[in-house]
Amino acid sequence: MSTLRIRHGRVIDPTNARGEVLREVGVRDGRFATLAPGEPVDQEIDAAGCVVMAGGIDMHTHIGGGKVNLARVLMGEDHRDGFAPWPLPTNALELASCGSCTPGTLATGYRYVEMGYTAAFEPAMVPANARHAHMEMGDVPVLDHGAYVMLGNDELFLQMLAEGGADARNFALIRDYVAWTIHATKAMGVKVVNPGGISAFKFNQRKLDLDELHTHWQVTPRRVVHTLARALKELGVPHPLHIHGCNLGVAGNIATTLETIGALEGLPAHLTHVQFHAYGTEGPKKFSSAALQLAEAVNANPQVSIDIGQVMFGQTVTASGDTMRQHAQSGLANPRKWIGADIELDAGCGVVPFRYREQSFVNALQWVIGLELFLLVCNPWQVVLTTDHPNGGPFTSYPHLIRLLMDKGFRDEQLAKLHPEVAANCALKGMTRELTLEEIAVMTRAAPAKLLGLRDRGHLGDGAAADLAIYREDADRERMFTAPEYVFKDGVQVARAGRITALPVGGTHFVEPGFDDAIEKVLSRHARRHGTLDVGHAVIGHDELCACCNGGRLLPTACFDASVSPAERRAAPKPAGIPSGDRPTDPSGEGQS
Amino acid sequence: MTQLPTATRAAAPWTCPFCPLLCDHLGVQADGAALALVGGRCARASDGLAQASAGGDATPRVDGRPATLDAAVAAAAQRLGAARQPLFGGLATDVAGARALYRLACATGAITDHAQGDALMHGLRVQQDRGGYTTTFAEVRARADLVVFLGGPPLGLAPLLYERLGFGDTGAVPQRRIVVIGAGPDDADALRQLAALPGCGVETVALQGDLFASTALLSALVEQRHVVDAPAAYVALAAALRAARYAVLVGAPARLPAHGALVVETAVRIVNSLNLGTRAAALWIGGGHGAATANQTVTWLSGLPLRSRAGPRGLEHGPVRFGSARLLDEDAVDALLWVASIDDTTPPPQTTLPLVLLGHPMLAAHADRPGSVFVPVAVPGIDGPGHLFRSDGVVLMPLFAARPAAQPTVAEVVARITEALGS
Repeated sequence: MSTLRIRHGRVIDPTNARGEVLREVGVRDGRFATLAPGEPVDQEIDAAGCVVMAGGIDMHTHIGGGKVNLARVLMGEDHRDGFAPWPLPTNALELASCGSCTPGTLATGYRYVEMGYTAAFEPAMVPANARHAHMEMGDVPVLDHGAYVMLGNDELFLQMLAEGGADARNFALIRDYVAWTIHATKAMGVKVVNPGGISAFKFNQRKLDLDELHTHWQVTPRRVVHTLARALKELGVPHPLHIHGCNLGVAGNIATTLETIGALEGLPAHLTHVQFHAYGTEGPKKFSSAALQLAEAVNANPQVSIDIGQVMFGQTVTASGDTMRQHAQSGLANPRKWIGADIELDAGCGVVPFRYREQSFVNALQWVIGLELFLLVCNPWQVVLTTDHPNGGPFTSYPHLIRLLMDKGFRDEQLAKLHPEVAANCALKGMTRELTLEEIAVMTRAAPAKLLGLRDRGHLGDGAAADLAIYREDADRERMFTAPEYVFKDGVQVARAGRITALPVGGTHFVEPGFDDAIEKVLSRHARRHGTLDVGHAVIGHDELCACCNGGRLLPTACFDASVSPAERRAAPKPAGIPSGDRPTDPSGEGQS
Repeated sequence: MTQLPTATRAAAPWTCPFCPLLCDHLGVQADGAALALVGGRCARASDGLAQASAGGDATPRVDGRPATLDAAVAAAAQRLGAARQPLFGGLATDVAGARALYRLACATGAITDHAQGDALMHGLRVQQDRGGYTTTFAEVRARADLVVFLGGPPLGLAPLLYERLGFGDTGAVPQRRIVVIGAGPDDADALRQLAALPGCGVETVALQGDLFASTALLSALVEQRHVVDAPAAYVALAAALRAARYAVLVGAPARLPAHGALVVETAVRIVNSLNLGTRAAALWIGGGHGAATANQTVTWLSGLPLRSRAGPRGLEHGPVRFGSARLLDEDAVDALLWVASIDDTTPPPQTTLPLVLLGHPMLAAHADRPGSVFVPVAVPGIDGPGHLFRSDGVVLMPLFAARPAAQPTVAEVVARITEALGS
């Protein structure tokens, strides 16, 4: 038994209450609990002058797997201190680990925890590389983690899609394949990257619009997106399809992005790093912000959520599965070098260093577009705060980003430093909205937990995992969010005033949708035909997952029963495995579940 | 037709740990202490299994005398703890072993390098400076209509390479053109095997100068730069590369000369040029004996690849400066921890330094002198499960036990040494 009481803090818990509440927060054995008045506790914290929130959850951050490790190798400059070696840690608990835009996994964990984050999700796990991704995530200390497996460019999926014809005769088989892949790779969801486009690049296509045919398989990205979104919905996977759309970074891609939302035909989906997908073609440089159009579409489609992929100025490296677009952008690499790969009839990867510059018209406008999107979408429950680490900038820039969103004066100061045409003409200049602490809490904890189906994370209600951060109130929000006074993970204090104090091993989130195992015959035939990993070897079992993840806890998330309507589901009793306590309410009123 | 013995896939899952291909279509049969390969033939796999069968009863030794595991761990910790600059070499182990070694390296300030560090650095330095574009086995099998070997086909490193790349499988690509630049007399058998495969049109192209000069010439021609008196074979090959649907350059860094990074860099240049108009990629064969595995693991943990240390000045990397052979030649290190758990082909170098050998039981004789500690360790993929990276760098293969373990794993022994160091 261990207990903790936090008194006098301003509690911001958007899942359970509107606004801030001055209340006590209790923890018993790693879970939030209502402690009896006067009950003696092991630790008591006086949080007067502090804000108490659930631990941060980054639901789209490239923290582990092949392309991240390639980025570390490619960015040697980022892993030393000028001409000097990277300094060793001054904290005896930490092992040496270096890098700013793609730090080693150890440093990744340390830096996230110091900022008050307690979970992070790798969004692009290639099936053939799944074990590697889990190994790296397992070596990120403290944070709970999970990954979305990449589908929609694997040749077997495209082949089945082609064979099923326009009326999707074999949809049940494809759905089983999606479920099997999630099961085999121990994924938390499915991401599609440039739907069909990575494969098309292998057949030497250089672009693939939403309704353009893949030259070999004769299927369109529209069908890829719709089929995957439908499969996940029918499987009851809580996180809907995670979409990195066609035409990333291309001027005028807003048309594709809006059509992609249309292609979903009302199915739920999460559109990721939308800043890179919200470009118009207006103005003398034929490159303009389409943030307003995208925000209107998101506002009109409550079943759609987004994360931003905010660009931050300075050196970074982009690591993506989108070989087609990364190859196209490789000429802009700074420094001038890049890595790409065609991967195992599965996917691809491209790693391109970038330096976003304030005086670049394009980069300045990208920065503006991201902020405009944050400020134009009405419902914060549809928005997740990300930089698409490291693609828009490293995750360590989150406190700066939070200040930009919360502080109009500071935002204007930064805006004035940008390329003059952007600074003078952007709509952002006239936007007066300043996000509240509650809205930040939604975008950094409550909404990601809800979008992932994590009912016992992202909030401070009784029964939820006691992941929390206590921030000293400070008008300078960047300083405030850089180093919380306390961070707790499952009730264990892991950081104090920006310094690591304990390093428990994080757990692995995944889902286990059901499938007809007849699909394994199809997979066996495919593996024999193409010499890919034997089907029996492809499946990561629970014991192996545990070994990959350094003995961290396995955290299966229950799938929804697809035969039950969302309204019935809200009224239904809790599924087994979810700890006691109130289920989070859904203040957005727009449950995706 | 493919030579993969798909019809006779072994029932119990097994991944062969003895070469960078990490084949998972073969199996192992245990007959008493003897392990035999089933489901196909591979001389390397059979050798590895024979060694694993023979070395069962080795025991720890300290200063050449039999010792308990506890005593060997204590002696190892004492000697590594006393060293001012230890070197961790060999590193033939799996991910779990590499993870444990990184903690010990941080605790002792050791420099890390692999037995095949020179070959590893050929590829790594080019990745660091220029990048690259690579492919994997299944992509080659499904798509490659033109394969160019830079140097002879490296069957010595990877005996079943042709099978794994689908050469002879006319179902995927009916006719492949395979060009070998600079085959030597030792490659005659590999070329004969290749020519006998259906659907493979094999050509050899003689070197123009050395391999670097030849690849540079090819690069210039692929870029359609003017080359005076260009040999017809190279002109034709450059044209074929530009016309191919998916051209793949295959090389083996371990077979490259001292400045092999130049060859790798030129190959990267050729691939990048081709990708402007058609599709191409490179495939590097190597990284076996845990080289790719140790490098990947240390890279993700620390942010820096092998040939690094957490030293007095900080965390630093020296792809040349921190090479084991150089450090030993220059007396720049004062203790050696050598890890060779997979087979007996990566023994420790001759040295009079204090030596801790975590080795395959067959290597006992290499640490049988005063100043040495020998701990026999489990063979990953024979004595227990584990993970190794395949040659193409993407697939982390699961390893499976072929028999109950008689020895502790590298990870277990290293964790105990680390613990003893702190006490």
